[in-house]
Amino acid sequence: MAPLETSPLRSPPDSGAADGFDIVATYRKFLDEDPDMTMPVAAIESLVVLLSQTEPTTASELMDTLAKAVTELKKGVKNSISLSAGCDMFQRFVLRNIQEYGDWEACRRHLVKNGGLFLERAKASRYKIAELGLPFIQDDDTILIHSHSRAVTELLLLAARRHIRFRVYITESRPTGEGLSSAKTLRDNGIPARVIVDGAVGWAIQKVDKVFIGAEGVAESGGIINRIGTYQIAVLAKDSNKPLYVVAESHKFVRLFPLSPFDLPNESPNASTFTTEAEDDEIQSSPLLDFTSDNLITALITDIGVLTSSGVSEELIKMWYD
Amino acid sequence: MSTVGTHISKEKDLNTQIESFVAQIKRRQIQGSYNVALATAQLLLRAVSATRWTHIDQLITQIKVLGKRLQSAQPRELACGNIIRRVLSLIREESEDTNDSESGDGAANSPLITSMFSLLSANDEYDSTRMSQGLGDGTSRSVKRDLKPYIIEGIQELIDELRSIDESIAGMGVEMIHENETILTPTPNSRTVLKFLLRAAQKRKFTVLVVEVFPNDVEKTHEFALKLAGAGIETTVITDAMVYSIMGRVGKVILGTNAVLANGGLLASAGATMICQCANVHRTPVVVCTGLYKLSPMYPFDIESLIEVGDTGKVLEFEDGSLVDKVNVVNPLYDYVPPESVDLCITNMGGYSPSFMYRLVLDHYRQEDVTL
Repeated sequence: MAPLETSPLRSPPDSGAADGFDIVATYRKFLDEDPDMTMPVAAIESLVVLLSQTEPTTASELMDTLAKAVTELKKGVKNSISLSAGCDMFQRFVLRNIQEYGDWEACRRHLVKNGGLFLERAKASRYKIAELGLPFIQDDDTILIHSHSRAVTELLLLAARRHIRFRVYITESRPTGEGLSSAKTLRDNGIPARVIVDGAVGWAIQKVDKVFIGAEGVAESGGIINRIGTYQIAVLAKDSNKPLYVVAESHKFVRLFPLSPFDLPNESPNASTFTTEAEDDEIQSSPLLDFTSDNLITALITDIGVLTSSGVSEELIKMWYD
Repeated sequence: MSTVGTHISKEKDLNTQIESFVAQIKRRQIQGSYNVALATAQLLLRAVSATRWTHIDQLITQIKVLGKRLQSAQPRELACGNIIRRVLSLIREESEDTNDSESGDGAANSPLITSMFSLLSANDEYDSTRMSQGLGDGTSRSVKRDLKPYIIEGIQELIDELRSIDESIAGMGVEMIHENETILTPTPNSRTVLKFLLRAAQKRKFTVLVVEVFPNDVEKTHEFALKLAGAGIETTVITDAMVYSIMGRVGKVILGTNAVLANGGLLASAGATMICQCANVHRTPVVVCTGLYKLSPMYPFDIESLIEVGDTGKVLEFEDGSLVDKVNVVNPLYDYVPPESVDLCITNMGGYSPSFMYRLVLDHYRQEDVTL
C-alpha cells in the first residue's frame, strides 16, 4: 500500500461509540495482517468489531454508531472509494434488516458472530470469479495486465492450473511498482511473463489478445476506479480493438457516478500545482488512482456473472431500491 | 398395476421420441432456429406430461439432463438450449409461487437478499435451502399434483408465443418504415423480415435492396425478392460487394438473426458484420427483427467456436483441381455482429436497445440454468 497520512479523529465522548476505539487503526491493522483482504472487506470487518464492542439500546442508536464510525473511517483513510463501497453496503444491509424485520438485535449478533465467515466468503468469491472468467482465456493467448490485482492473479493462476497455455505482459506500474510482485507470483506458478514499463503499453498492445484489469471500485455507470495507468491502457486497447475485461467482486460496486476523472475526490492536490523548484518526493505525490469510463470496457467479470456496464447499475438499484 | 404398465410404456414412447428427435437434429433434418425451437418445446411438453416426480427438484434435474442431450446434438443451434432454459425457469417460477403462497410470509429464513448481500447473509446456500425448506413432507404431494397442469399450461403458452412471433413483430413494421424509404436487407433467409416488410407494404410504398449473400443463400435471395415484388414493393437484388457504395442512399438496414447473445451481440448470417459496419460509417440505423426465443443467456467468450462452417464446395468447386490443393478455403455460415453496431432490436415484446438485452436475459432465464 502507498504511504498514507494518519489523522486519527477521536469521536467526542457523548457520541455513543466505545471510548478509545479507533476504527481507522483497526482497519489498518486488518489490512496489514492479511494481505489477501480487500479494502471493502477490511472496512466491514472493522465495523463488525465496532459492533461487538458497543451495546446500543435502540435500533437508531445502532445506525447512528455505524454512521459516525463510517464517517470517521472515510475521513481517516486516503483513497477511500472502495472502502466506502463496503461501508455503504454494510449500512444498507443493517438498515434493510431493521426495516423488514425489526429484529436488529439478532442481526447484530449474527454480524458479530460471523465476522470470519464474511472474510471466507469474500475470498471464495474470488475463486468463483476465476471459474466464471476461465472461458475467456484460450490457448496461445497473449494477455496484458496492470499493476497487482488479486482477482486477476487468481484468474490467471486458475487458468494455468487447468493447463491453458498463455503468456502475460505486466506493466511495472510506477510509482508503486506493484507490477513486479504480480510478475513474481505468476512466474512462480509457471506462467511465462514479461514486465514492461508503463510507457511501453502502446508498443505492446498490437501483440496482445486481451487485457484483464482489476478494480478498486466499480462506479454505477459501469466505469472503474483503479490504479493510475488503467485509463491509458483502456484507451489504447479500444483504439486497437482489443477487448478489455474488468475482474472485480460485487462488493466493490459503489454508488458513485463520476462523469470525468476530476469528479473523484482528489487525493493528490500537489499534482495539480506547478513549481519552479525541484521537489524531493515529486514522484511520490503523483495521483494513485484514475477513472476509466464504461465505453472502454468490454465486460465485467464478477461473482454475480459476466455483466455488461448496464448490468452494474441494475445490481446497485436492486440493493438500494426501497 | 395397469397404471404402472401404461406408465412404463409412456416412458418407452417418450424415449423413442427423444431418440428420433436427437437423430433428426443431428442430421439437420430440422433446420432453422424457429423449427428447432418449436420441436424442442413440443418434445418438452410431452416429456413433462410423461414423467412422474415426487419432488419438483427431480423434474428439474430430469429436464436438465434431457436438455443437455438435446443441446449437444447441435451445439451451435442456440435456440434449442434457450427453450429448455425457458421451460426450466417456468418450472422454478411455478414451484416458488406455490411455496410463497403456502408458507405465509415465508421469508423468515431469507431476508430480501440480492446477490450483492450474499456476502453478509444468514444463509450459506441461498437457493437450495429455500427449495428444500419450502417443501416439507406434508406439502410435497399436494404441490406435485397442483403443479403439473400449470407447467403444461405454461409450456403451451410458450408454444403459442412461438407461433405468433412473426405476427407481433410484423405489427411494428408500419411505424418503422417511412414512405418512399430505401431499406437494405442483408439476411434474405429470414422469414421474420419477410413478413415484416410485407405487412409494412400494405400501408407504405418503399424500396428494398436485397443483398445476394453469395454463396449460401442465393436461391433464397431470389425467392425473397420474388415474394416482395409480388406484393408490389420495388425490389432490387445487389451483390455483396456493392453494399458500401450504395449505403449512402439507404435509409435503414433491417436484418434477421440466428441468435442474440447476452451482451446484445448477434449471431447473424455471414456478411452481416461487414454490412452493419458500412451502415455505422454512414450513421444509418441498423434494426434487428428477432423473436425472444433467439435470446441466449450465453456470453460470447470465444467467437470462433460459435461460428458454424458450411460447404466449402460452394465457394470453390472441387472440380477446380489446380486451386483446390494449393488454397485453404473456408465458408463460414454465421457472423458475429458486436452490440455497438446495432441500434434497435425489435422483438415480439417490443423494441429494445442491445445494451438492454442483459435485462431480458435476467427476466426470462435463471442464473442456475445457464450451464445445463
